Amino acid sequence: MLVYDARTNKMHSDAVDTAHVLVIGSGGAGVRAAIEAAGYGETMLVSKTLTGKGGCTTMAEGGYNAVLRETDACEIHYEDTLKGGAYLNDPDLVQILVHEAPQRIRDLLEWGAVFDVTDSCEVAQRPFGGQRFPRTCYAGDRTGHEMISTLVDRLHGTGVRIENEVTVISLLQEGQRVNGAIGLDRQGAIRVMLADATILATGGGTRIYDISTNSSSGTGDGYAIGYNASAELIDMEQIQFHPTGAVYPYDARGRLVTEAVRGEGGLLKNVEGERFMKRYDPERMELSTRDVVARAIATEILEGKGTKNGGVYLDVTHLPRSQIERRLPVMLEQFLKFGIDIRDVPMEVAPTAHHIMGGLRITTRGETTLPCLYACGEVSGGVHGANRLGGNALAETQVFGKRAGEAAGRVKEQKKAADQKMIEDAEQRICTFLQGEVPPSSIARSLQTTMWEGAGIFRNGPDLQKTLGIIRHLQTLHPKAASPANFAECCILQNMLTTASLVVRSALLRKESRGAHLRRDISQNWDPEHSPYGHTYLSLSREGIETRAVT
Amino acid sequence: MREISVKVFRFDPSCDTTPHLQNYLVSVKEGARVLHVLHAIHDEHDPSLSYRYCCGSGQCGSCAVKLNGQPVLACMEEARDEMIIEPLDLPIKKDLIVDMDPYLDRISSLVPGAEFRMPAPDEVEAIKPLRSCIECLACVSACPALKVIDFAGPAAMREDMRLSLDPRDTCDRVTEAVSEGLFTCTSCQSCWKVCPKNIEIPGKAIEKLRALANRKGLTLPRHEEVEKLVRETGRSVDRTGTTFLEQVPEILEPYGEVKATVGFFVGCMYNMRLPQTALDAMEVLRRNGIRVIIPKEQVCCGSPLIRTGQVEFLDTLKSRNINAYVFRNIDTVMTMCAGCGSTLKNDYQTPFKVMDINEVLLRYGIEPPARLPVKATYHDPCHLLRGQGIRTQPRELISKVVDLVEMPAICCGSGGGVRSGMPQEAAALGENRRNEIDKTGADLVISSCPFCEFHIKEHTDKPVKNVATVLLEGYREKDRRTAQKETC
Repeated sequence: MLVYDARTNKMHSDAVDTAHVLVIGSGGAGVRAAIEAAGYGETMLVSKTLTGKGGCTTMAEGGYNAVLRETDACEIHYEDTLKGGAYLNDPDLVQILVHEAPQRIRDLLEWGAVFDVTDSCEVAQRPFGGQRFPRTCYAGDRTGHEMISTLVDRLHGTGVRIENEVTVISLLQEGQRVNGAIGLDRQGAIRVMLADATILATGGGTRIYDISTNSSSGTGDGYAIGYNASAELIDMEQIQFHPTGAVYPYDARGRLVTEAVRGEGGLLKNVEGERFMKRYDPERMELSTRDVVARAIATEILEGKGTKNGGVYLDVTHLPRSQIERRLPVMLEQFLKFGIDIRDVPMEVAPTAHHIMGGLRITTRGETTLPCLYACGEVSGGVHGANRLGGNALAETQVFGKRAGEAAGRVKEQKKAADQKMIEDAEQRICTFLQGEVPPSSIARSLQTTMWEGAGIFRNGPDLQKTLGIIRHLQTLHPKAASPANFAECCILQNMLTTASLVVRSALLRKESRGAHLRRDISQNWDPEHSPYGHTYLSLSREGIETRAVT
Repeated sequence: MREISVKVFRFDPSCDTTPHLQNYLVSVKEGARVLHVLHAIHDEHDPSLSYRYCCGSGQCGSCAVKLNGQPVLACMEEARDEMIIEPLDLPIKKDLIVDMDPYLDRISSLVPGAEFRMPAPDEVEAIKPLRSCIECLACVSACPALKVIDFAGPAAMREDMRLSLDPRDTCDRVTEAVSEGLFTCTSCQSCWKVCPKNIEIPGKAIEKLRALANRKGLTLPRHEEVEKLVRETGRSVDRTGTTFLEQVPEILEPYGEVKATVGFFVGCMYNMRLPQTALDAMEVLRRNGIRVIIPKEQVCCGSPLIRTGQVEFLDTLKSRNINAYVFRNIDTVMTMCAGCGSTLKNDYQTPFKVMDINEVLLRYGIEPPARLPVKATYHDPCHLLRGQGIRTQPRELISKVVDLVEMPAICCGSGGGVRSGMPQEAAALGENRRNEIDKTGADLVISSCPFCEFHIKEHTDKPVKNVATVLLEGYREKDRRTAQKETC
């Protein structure tokens, strides 16, 4: 088979990789899926970063929710998750999550994960927001890093082929069936990857916002790639704004300040020194759900009770220094680097775009609406509903990573052939970037500020319409690649624009306030549990919002 | 916003024959990090600049670069004007992107057994300090050993130690570490000092692995001989002539007013190999009002045993040494050997204060010596610079006598038992020093550690002298000039 190499402007015949299962993404979900799939046949993992270093799992600090104690129960975890998710979650997916999270953490422990333990050799747990039991397992405040180190260790023992620094730009299809993907290597050469089953585990995309906790890889690639291949996505309007992101220095604003800080006893105070959460959720205070805390902080700042740097105080100075040093070492180290000793001085924090609850519609086996395409982790939707509980995402990566890997592994072997037309289309797409006019970074910056202003924590119809108009205009600009090595940046920018448009279109479709989605222009007389609405959905062929019977 | 000037390493192997440093003027915001400068260059000046990054918060280890020669995480290090940004010392793919695979691939993975046992709290606590590694390879870039000999590197040693502490792992990590170059580490501490997670690899991994290797009978024969010598004689080197301790009284009174009293810990090398240097130091101290008490029953500090993992006899040495000073009610013990000083400060728990001679001299102030018309360079002993954080003091003293030309602070190869155990490696590192010394054009090499002085002498044609000796020469010249004036 001949494949075009943009770098040499020649056709190459050796750039086709085949595997039984192709996993796209190297975060917690992707690596877990690959480990599982490897048991069924040749598996290839493709990552746009270095495996183990990309994605957001490695940055996840606080923990992993799992029912491990006799005094806790899966049913309580289930209820907490549904309530936290404003009853928009897919109940079947939540059942799976809460019942399998304990087994999946056990896998990690067997493979060498070093979680904090109690004196009686049980995995230690800490309280997290919106949960009635302290069920968040942790490794200090570097839980995700501990997990990904363990997973990559395990991955190396499975024989999975790892392709690092290859950016997938589209899926290959035969009719509706997905049979692989097209990627770009660092030099901008096209790579064709064929597989019987393909798993999207590309993570989230809150880099579409000006202020975000995500790593540079959180650009929404999977949503866009899936959408372009005609998969259906749900609840894309549901963006979690983490209440506590750093506000200084400016270039690093949005950096995650883990919920574990509040879990360990950190207090939120406005500039007047008032513990303002008592006015928003007197019962749960700082450990209310993230949507509530984020709106509370945003409101305080809007009302002029914020600090000079545009945040509120998050204070741990009353805690024993040793507790801060042992339980929050990463926070301590990061803030010290920026000149703040959190043992002596309160942190300044403000909300930051953190997690996309929506995503590709999946079944309990991780199947998307397209044959042979699977999704797991943040790129999928339905598990978290309208607001994710802290600690449920790391659990989700493992539970649904394993399920997607298994289901993909079980797919029957098929004849593998790439649709030449799709490869040519991809070539054409990237070659136009050489004639582009606008640096992708400028378009990205416009998008990020637009999204922050028009589709942020507080929303209304006219602003969302305006935002959609701007995104559509940005989509008409021609991103410029200085060289083939910049092709991937241009494709990623297009993915960001697509993801942003999905978020805003869904936000317009949901004419109610629900969880993280707050429409200030709409008043409603129902609480989330009794909402007449279900998922919003979007695909190339249809869009809308599901309705449901209210009891 | 402020404007800063930076130089960035550029190299595209597909079209460039040699790398070059490119100048950029960029506007950055208050508090900007090195990474934000790279973004600004990429977005505003030159989209062809290649560099790696991901999390932007010091957690993924993608973005390590050298900033003014020192490995740092680009996302965490504050941007400075006039900074030079270069790739790590690893094979370069393009610009700041290096090939990390050769060293990442050498980091071992846990191999679980059939039966699972949850690690106990104390095991978790033991493992944790070694677990926060983000595999950024700053340590690999900084390690001098692996540049001259096959060594899997500090990150791999760290993981071998972590695995050997983990009850779930089924492999023999100690033997593995030995075959991966455990004994090539010079204990220069560079890896630890550049580690963004502050993981003390030499002390917490390498020396511990060497101790485990000792239990398995894997200690190098040459190191075993040293241990035997220490057991039998209390000294880590054999006798070749009259020792320092045999030449001095127990108390040396200063020539003038007494400014301070210190106990002196001479160490094996200055006692038995370079006694004249120690005598020079005594002369400088006496001239500057320091009263020196020299207990004759002092023995080897134990450093050669700790560095090579032979710790059985260590406590005996420690208590003999500590008692020697405690019996005399000494509250400050002065070392002049960088290795002894580092050991007394970091591996002992002493009831007295330990100060290096450079610290003592500056603390109490010295009489100005005459200036000599000599251009000299200074070699930072690893155990003084990184072991004790002493950088400016010797420079300040030297600059009173000679013109100082700087050279990069890199290990000479004499530490960690490498000179005895891995002589070829020690020689290769010594030759690297020769090159750096030659580049400075200096006529004289000055240092402040007997191991460095002894070793570098074999790898340069220039004279190698101790800080104290140079000071003494300054005083002698001063005396000569005064005498000359008087005769006129």
